Amino acid sequence: MPLLKIDDNKFEVGKGKTVLEVAIENDIEIPHYCYHPSLEIAGSCRMCLVQIEGMPKLQVSCNTFIGEVPPARKVDGKYDMVVHTKNELVTKERKNILEFLLLNHPLDCPVCDQAGECYLQDYSFKFGNAHSRFDEDKRVRPNENLGSQIVINHNRCILCTRCTRFTREISGTSELFVEERGYNSKIAIIEDNPLDNLLAGNVTDICPVGALLSTDYIHKNRIWNMKKQPSVCQDCSVGCNIDVFTQKDKIIRITPRENHQVNGYFMCDIGRYGFHQYENIERITSPLHKSNGGFSEISWDIAIKEIIDRLKTNGSKTAAIASPFHTNETNYMLGRLFHGLIGTFPFMEDKEITYPSGFRISGDRSPNKQGMYDLCPQIVKDLPSKIKKQNIRGIYILDNGIDIELDDIWKKILKTMDFVVVQSYVMTSLSKTADIILPGLSPFESEGTITNDRGHVQWLRPSLPTPGDGRPDWEILNLIDKTENRYVDLNDLMKGLGKQFPSYSDISLFKLGEQGISLSKRAKE
Amino acid sequence: MSKFEPILTEYIKDEDCHTLSFYKNTGGYTALKKVLDKNPDNVIEEVKSSNLRGRGGAGFSAGVKWSFIPKDTTKPKYLINNADESEPGTFKDRLLINKAPHQMLEGMIIASYAINCNTAFIYIRGEFYKEYQLLKETLAEAYQAKLLGEGILGSNYNLDIVLHRGAGAYICGEETGLIESLEGKRGWPRLKPPFPAIEGYLRCPTIVNNVETLSCIPHIINRGAEWFKSIGPEKGPGPRLFCVSGRVNNPGVFEEAMGIPLEDLIFKRAGGIPDGKKLKAVFPGGSSSAILTADEAMDVIMDFEDLVAKKSMLGSAGVIVMDETVDMVQACLNIARFYAHESCGQCTPCREGTVWLVKILTRMVNGEGKDSDIDMLLEITDNIGGLIDFSKESFGKTICPFGEAVAWPVRSFIEKFESEFRSYIQEEKVLA
Repeated sequence: MPLLKIDDNKFEVGKGKTVLEVAIENDIEIPHYCYHPSLEIAGSCRMCLVQIEGMPKLQVSCNTFIGEVPPARKVDGKYDMVVHTKNELVTKERKNILEFLLLNHPLDCPVCDQAGECYLQDYSFKFGNAHSRFDEDKRVRPNENLGSQIVINHNRCILCTRCTRFTREISGTSELFVEERGYNSKIAIIEDNPLDNLLAGNVTDICPVGALLSTDYIHKNRIWNMKKQPSVCQDCSVGCNIDVFTQKDKIIRITPRENHQVNGYFMCDIGRYGFHQYENIERITSPLHKSNGGFSEISWDIAIKEIIDRLKTNGSKTAAIASPFHTNETNYMLGRLFHGLIGTFPFMEDKEITYPSGFRISGDRSPNKQGMYDLCPQIVKDLPSKIKKQNIRGIYILDNGIDIELDDIWKKILKTMDFVVVQSYVMTSLSKTADIILPGLSPFESEGTITNDRGHVQWLRPSLPTPGDGRPDWEILNLIDKTENRYVDLNDLMKGLGKQFPSYSDISLFKLGEQGISLSKRAKE
Repeated sequence: MSKFEPILTEYIKDEDCHTLSFYKNTGGYTALKKVLDKNPDNVIEEVKSSNLRGRGGAGFSAGVKWSFIPKDTTKPKYLINNADESEPGTFKDRLLINKAPHQMLEGMIIASYAINCNTAFIYIRGEFYKEYQLLKETLAEAYQAKLLGEGILGSNYNLDIVLHRGAGAYICGEETGLIESLEGKRGWPRLKPPFPAIEGYLRCPTIVNNVETLSCIPHIINRGAEWFKSIGPEKGPGPRLFCVSGRVNNPGVFEEAMGIPLEDLIFKRAGGIPDGKKLKAVFPGGSSSAILTADEAMDVIMDFEDLVAKKSMLGSAGVIVMDETVDMVQACLNIARFYAHESCGQCTPCREGTVWLVKILTRMVNGEGKDSDIDMLLEITDNIGGLIDFSKESFGKTICPFGEAVAWPVRSFIEKFESEFRSYIQEEKVLA
């Protein structure tokens, strides 16, 4: 294995790695703009120049590959490569590149959305000059819309071309390109092909400066005022890892979080902007009881007592509906409580989209169908006919939270029921059929685990506080459990779940961490 | 030394010199016949030992370049004839295309055979429309005479040549910018390594040679490497087409042996400077080369090594002569403007720095110069392309040599004629 020396650090490295890759892996900072681990090497920003002993010129570390050299050419008799990242020559060169990049930059950090997470700011602070030597007129260009949700501020752009390479290599849609030449170069689209693909939002994340902006976030907030919560997207069965940024109980934006077992570096715009769908919903924040054709609030004690009583009288004559929109823990609790019939409502399937880079948006727009089936194996296929055959008169429903019209068969069934309980955070046409509605939590309030369509279990974390009297969905089912086996908390529940379902044994939130656990990998081991 | 007789341009005065029949009658395509019986490796060896160095500007050994083509690859190999002549002050390839297209073509076929390639390209500068039309005829003639296509001259060697017009960018003369352009992409030079000989056109092994370089090949095959080496300095021998332009009585292309004194070129071949004016400065190798003062110019021979020793370069051998009436600040601005206009915009220093130079120089010319401008200009040239000093590790800051191509000449103007720049600042001289 080649022996590499970067400044005073020695590394044995795998063949075919670049100097920059090794530096990043080992927390040695080499500033860079055009390099992005998911994109082809461009080598054009010149920010990552380093000095390599024996090479006549400074080299871009992003394109300097490390290999073994013959003994005669080893430095100090043992190193295959000796790299300097901090000496005078390199330090001076960084200053120069930063000076060039800032010549025509408007220095408008006070009103720039990137401020606080901007590499132009950070590197200038660390490596740049404190003053400008540029006395000439700056290049000034107006902002332009590149797509319905993406704006470019050309004056801030440093032409690193991460965005153009993204649309070529990751989305495969090639909307962005560099127009004009030299000093007049700028990122552009052609009119009839705007940047409106479902991955478009990612260009605002990979833009290292404040040039590419999402119209959804522009001038909304300052990064340092927001709280960042790592979680998982729930808008399809892929389960992209995300960071949810909130301020004062309100989601401000969502960005993808790196996870190479799931989504790589990216997410789709369905998930990115999906949080808006919960902003103006008819939220249920207290247990409700049907009375006089409407609903009236009741206390949890009364609601739970009534449900327990009715379940007792109904005995095995109560069916239950599991939901792929609920966590593993909630579905497990449902399966544990209802020994009789469990089924689901019909699923909605969209078309699956796969991009050239392998990134996919699943046709299954529910986050946890896999987990639901794993933990409620007793789910039957044709629940309606079984309900009819067995003359079931009561039903307990985990609501998907999506307001869709049920088909006629289900409408008829619900009408014939004596007793309908719906666990839901939102008033849907389904919850309106209930005798009792129990207020659960919305996707960004829930905590628990979900399993994606490739068997990857991930930790769903709450980004928003629980409003009103709402309770975690698993906890509601725990309350209904009249036995002495109630769980103390989520971890306790997961332990119990693992005992019954060995593939999930020994999974805890702690173990899932930020990257999750793959069931299939575990099975192989 | 015996008097040099033109080799590449021997017949250019004849009216029909561009035709196949004329070329054949004067011994054309005999080298190709010889080569087709030889092992391709022997051809590479012959060219290597001739010390033929590239005539496009960089001066890299042609034979060594060919030998970089991997032998064990199953990928197709390509040859590209770089006819994108666009260096200011250079107009020799155009002459060779117009007057001896079959000589160039024979060189191409031999080179293609040597590197085992079956498809070659001529990437011709877009502005050369007449030459493009002529080359279409030349290729048609060659196909008809079985010099191209399948089974060349009855051998089992096949070669097709594609003629491709550039779209007007200086940077597409840089070999990897050219390859990108030929692939239908933006003409942005590529990161090296990999070099084109390993990954070039369509990521396949590719050799890019200049028109004049290829035109030398048939003669090397016919008369041998030793003969070629005997012309001029051994390390960089052969005939060379020198383009002399600017303030001379008789501008034009002059074929001479490598190593001719620059003084002879200017004062003998190009007829000296008009109106009895004095020589002031010279670009010895196109506008990318650092200028020489009159004294330096009188003391240099047109040889790769000697010009590097004088901190300039032979480049494309485009000699631009400036007499005492030339305003060096204006000339410097002119050069800087050209490079700012032609910068591809890929690398930060070149994209931003070239225009910064222009802005300062323009201000200076408009009488708004400041004392600090001169140091600033020098520092900017350093930061774009580095010092003109190969012993220091501070040149080569951009993907392609364009950074040096702007930095070196601009720097040389300021260093060698600093007083003229100073006087612009002090006198606040405003030009009408």
